[in-house]
Amino acid sequence: MSNRRATNNRIRGPQSALTDFLASNNISAAQIRTDYERRRREAQSRINSERPAEDSAAEVETQQTATSTENSEQRKKRKRQEENAIAKIKKNKNKNNKNKRRQRFAVDSESDEEDATWDLYAKSKPLPGQLENCEICNKRFTVTAYSKTGPDGGLLCAKCSRELEAEEKKDKPKKKSGARERRRQVQSRLLDGIVSLGAKNLQELCVEKVADNINDVDEFGDLPQTLLDRLSQILSKKRVITSRTLDLFLRPDLDKVAIYDAGKLESHDFVKIFAVIPNLRHLLLLHAGQFKDEVMEYMLERQVPIKSLQLEAANLISNRMWHELFRRAGGSLEALKLAWLDSSFNDECVQVLADNCPNLKRLKLRKCFHLDENALVSIGKLSNLEHLSLQFSGQVEGQLVTDLVNSVGQKLFTLSLTKFENADDAVLAAIHASCRHLRKFRFSENDLCTDAAYEQLFTDWVNPGLVFADFSSTRDLDYSNPDGPDEPVGLASKGFAALMKHSGSSLERLDISSCRHIAHSTFCEVFDGIKIYPNLRELNLSFIPRVDTLVVAAIFKSCPQLQKVVAFSCFGIRDVIVPPNVALIGIPNAQENIMINADALAYY
Amino acid sequence: MATTQQQPSSDYVTLVSCDGYEFVVRRSCACVAGALRRMLDPNSSFNEAVTGRAVLENINGIVLEKVCEYFYYNEKNKDARDVPDMDIPPELCLELLMAADYLNT
Repeated sequence: MSNRRATNNRIRGPQSALTDFLASNNISAAQIRTDYERRRREAQSRINSERPAEDSAAEVETQQTATSTENSEQRKKRKRQEENAIAKIKKNKNKNNKNKRRQRFAVDSESDEEDATWDLYAKSKPLPGQLENCEICNKRFTVTAYSKTGPDGGLLCAKCSRELEAEEKKDKPKKKSGARERRRQVQSRLLDGIVSLGAKNLQELCVEKVADNINDVDEFGDLPQTLLDRLSQILSKKRVITSRTLDLFLRPDLDKVAIYDAGKLESHDFVKIFAVIPNLRHLLLLHAGQFKDEVMEYMLERQVPIKSLQLEAANLISNRMWHELFRRAGGSLEALKLAWLDSSFNDECVQVLADNCPNLKRLKLRKCFHLDENALVSIGKLSNLEHLSLQFSGQVEGQLVTDLVNSVGQKLFTLSLTKFENADDAVLAAIHASCRHLRKFRFSENDLCTDAAYEQLFTDWVNPGLVFADFSSTRDLDYSNPDGPDEPVGLASKGFAALMKHSGSSLERLDISSCRHIAHSTFCEVFDGIKIYPNLRELNLSFIPRVDTLVVAAIFKSCPQLQKVVAFSCFGIRDVIVPPNVALIGIPNAQENIMINADALAYY
Repeated sequence: MATTQQQPSSDYVTLVSCDGYEFVVRRSCACVAGALRRMLDPNSSFNEAVTGRAVLENINGIVLEKVCEYFYYNEKNKDARDVPDMDIPPELCLELLMAADYLNT
């Protein structure tokens, strides 16, 4: 206390930076000097004591008598203190979760009075640089609380301590990443639907490694587009796409840029994309919040021949600029996918789009909150559409959906209608009448269309078999009557049977989650273990309470290509034997896939 | 054609890097890579198939060594579950990625 006050009040002259630094690190030149003197004296006295007594000259003795008696006493004391300090440091390090106070009491009670005074001394100056020789490199160093104990019990200098620590760290994770870590990884991959035997392929291994070390990469060289795309996906997932990493993906000879998380990019980064790649044709930017009017203006000025544009959350583009885009670049635009637009992009924009983009083949509008019925009428004018995906937030009249299907349905390969709650049986009838080329068909979140309408849709439909079918959440929504009305609503037994009869041989992915009115007997008929669905890879059966072990086992038998079955909330599934290469997700007690032995393998 | 039919294809093939290093690996391992499988297919009349020797002009010895290591790693873990990832030195991974793309593994 008094010490500190003294330093505070001290008036100091100009000091060099070195002196300041030394002072701030509690190193004093005076102490270094005294230490040095002491060591010299010690060495001197040791030499003296080793000499035979008669050799020592009288003068030397008389010179030293005054100081040496004092010195030997001091030396003894200091040595003891040093030992104490080191013992204390070691003790501090060894104590694990023991009560601190209790240990200090123990130490206090052990030590004698002299040590107690040393304790007091030590408290005011916490281990003020006891010197010690390092056990490994033999250098002299200052002991601190962080000094490590060496292999033979001695203390180590800061450098050797660090090296020891690094080595320990290197050893540790190997021990840890044992069975538990691997099991966790397996479960995580299982949820992603990845169950694979054997090693990952070399490309995937390398891509992951590159993504891990992205900060050390200066350029990708001429990697092919597919690998760049995969890298972009992984980096986006890790959220490390920044201005710097974006540069890696920009190469004048490319014609596609796909950034799946552009959240960290600024307007000038987007401008840079067009500056480096003036012939860009395909642009995909998700979370592109800073894609502003001026970026779009730059793109139009440079006459970038953009063919496909996918933007999400680009809310700083005004309605006026959307109009500009369609007027000036609409002729070349073939694909447009927009999502999460809540401040602009209204019906008028869609109208301008329909008037100026005659070549548009692919249109996807999802979560564009300003769109409503008028937009649907405008889309009907796009006569060349091949892929159409719509999800509107407002209510849309069923008749308008019917009209839309009638006007554009003939050429469609993809039709995805999500959450058109007012779409009724007439829509399904229109699809039956006009669609001839559908490969992918989604009609989800609807509780108006009846099972009979679904059955009619799939019976004698000229459309070839679907590859992708999603009828999730088409069911009756009366909580007081969980079994639904007598005339089933949504995709139920007859509709499902008709769907599988029509498309069973070509289907690759099927989602019928929450189609709760499909009967157990229908499942047993469709998946009887004799009929084979040769291409079915993914199946979602979640929230269908009638699905049980029997059904799932039959599905495994009927679908040789199956990779992923999602069955959340299907409580009837218990202890089912899952074939290798199949991920069964969501069964109640997170049992691991049971490895089947050779006999069972023969059974499948 | 005649020569390939006379002498049954050996169990080992030789992969040669652009800087002249030769790696003799099991045929089954080399066939992990799609490109090599087609090059070394005994039913084809490619020079590589006849001689059992594939010269890879754009892969250097260091990378090719790692590639061969991967072949054996892949073969060893063919039917295993939860295979631990092979260790790839970071400074090599981009070159290895190009090689993997070329070899189609």
